[in-house]
Amino acid sequence: MFGQKKGNYAYTVARVKARKSLRLGDDVYTKMLLMDLPEISRMLGETVYQKEMAELAGRIEGVDLIEHATYRNMARSFRSILEMSTGQLRDMIAANLTRWDYWNLKVILRAKTFGADVESIKEDLVPAGKESAEFRNMLVSLDTVGDILDAFSKAEGVTFPASIVESFKSDGRLTALEDFLDKTYYQRLLDSIDPSSKPTRLFKDFIKMEIDIINVETILKLKMENVPGDAIMPFIIEGGKQLDNRLASQLANADSLEAMSSDLKRLDFYEDIAEVLKADSGSLRSLVSSLEKYKIRKARTFSHLYPLSIVPILDYMINKQVEVDNIRVIARGKVSGLDNNTIKELLVI
Amino acid sequence: MSTQEITPTRSVLLETKKKIKLSQSGYKIMKMKRDGLIIEFFEIMEKAKEMRDRVVADYLNAMEKIHIASAVEGAIAVKSAAYALKGDPQVCLSCKSIMGMTVPKVDAECGCTPILDRGYGVISTSAYIEEAAKAFEKLLETMVLAAEVETTMKRLLDEIEKTKRRVNAPEFKVIPELQEAEAFIEFRLEEMERENTIRLKHLKRKAEAAQ
Repeated sequence: MFGQKKGNYAYTVARVKARKSLRLGDDVYTKMLLMDLPEISRMLGETVYQKEMAELAGRIEGVDLIEHATYRNMARSFRSILEMSTGQLRDMIAANLTRWDYWNLKVILRAKTFGADVESIKEDLVPAGKESAEFRNMLVSLDTVGDILDAFSKAEGVTFPASIVESFKSDGRLTALEDFLDKTYYQRLLDSIDPSSKPTRLFKDFIKMEIDIINVETILKLKMENVPGDAIMPFIIEGGKQLDNRLASQLANADSLEAMSSDLKRLDFYEDIAEVLKADSGSLRSLVSSLEKYKIRKARTFSHLYPLSIVPILDYMINKQVEVDNIRVIARGKVSGLDNNTIKELLVI
Repeated sequence: MSTQEITPTRSVLLETKKKIKLSQSGYKIMKMKRDGLIIEFFEIMEKAKEMRDRVVADYLNAMEKIHIASAVEGAIAVKSAAYALKGDPQVCLSCKSIMGMTVPKVDAECGCTPILDRGYGVISTSAYIEEAAKAFEKLLETMVLAAEVETTMKRLLDEIEKTKRRVNAPEFKVIPELQEAEAFIEFRLEEMERENTIRLKHLKRKAEAAQ
């Protein structure tokens, strides 16, 4: 999978560290909570998002401008990291960024099945993946889902099982296709990481932990809908760190939340979700938020351990996305009239 | 009805009496219907008030959830998930009768779509979007039920108005006019009776004088 060359770790990490200093501090979010939307827009116009805000201001306005500009800035930042890196490092960054290509493919498929126009689909894509703008535009311009899947298949080397394509053709639902894409992304990402060095093992561990988190969320989401255990198992992504098929099956077939809790205790992040599980509010919002905070905390803890590795780059990318998400949470929260306490709960700090 | 148009005969009197009896029984039935409809209206009004409160509560809840989903996941992700949804909500319309009045009966077949049938991927779609989708489905269901109650209430109001006119017409116009006609005929018949008696007495007197 990887090229022979190890990659320009020193150069890329140095550039990423320089960018890290441009990130908004946690105190900025507190200040933003006290501002209204025009003030937030103006403040962002004076930060690293200045260029994107100015570029899009003619076409989009208000909170949509903030959302699109921050996404575009994040995409540019990720693309430039990908372009400046070489060798094995580049391969790993590219594999990680493929999530945005998969995300864009899902957006295109959904919009195409709905019948949205080409321009509005292009507007909704996040150009943060490893694929080029030309490739994305080509996908958007294709007429049928079959053509889009064929083109993506050729570019990414993903083979869509005939049963899944047939299932889509028969009922028009993208459920199986999207779930297949999510599983494929993680499978390929895990396969692409060479665990020969400690930093890459940490990277792999982090992705495995992310899979565990997604699996726990999926199980709880489906359990809340009273989906039987057997029907839950096909949605489990393989390759988790602690949540293997056996444990996943136990959780999926558990009769109650108490029964699940005893199994969940085996997972590293149990302490972070124990309170939420006890509260049993009937909503997964708090749980998802707790798991997201745990993930960020984990990424931060190991980011300083290996300065010349993929780890600080990964940490930057995760935190950049969190920053973009937090800005959007505040901006949209303010426009929607959500109170500051609710917005604060939604922030990942 | 003007008294000049009335022919003061016994048959007309009998007919008028029959009409009065019929009008009075009709009036009683219509009055009972009006009272029944008013009782029904108050019951429906309570239900409608409750439904309006539920619609408002569900709307606020759904809007809060969609705002949170848009904030956390982004408007693009929410829009994209909405694109993936399959199937339109189905509404089944039938009729039911309240005191002879036809009102619509609306059954929402939208219900709650199971997560596996929504049309988007289960793994990647966040709990925030899922909660917003559920909240909007609940709102839709409540709105369909509220539409049934509101339409029933409006139909009841129209029917009460109509029935009120049907009650007022015999009470203040038809029955008093018929009673007036009856009194007039009776008076005329009595008058004719008296004239007849006097005429007979006069003839008897004339006959006795001739003897």
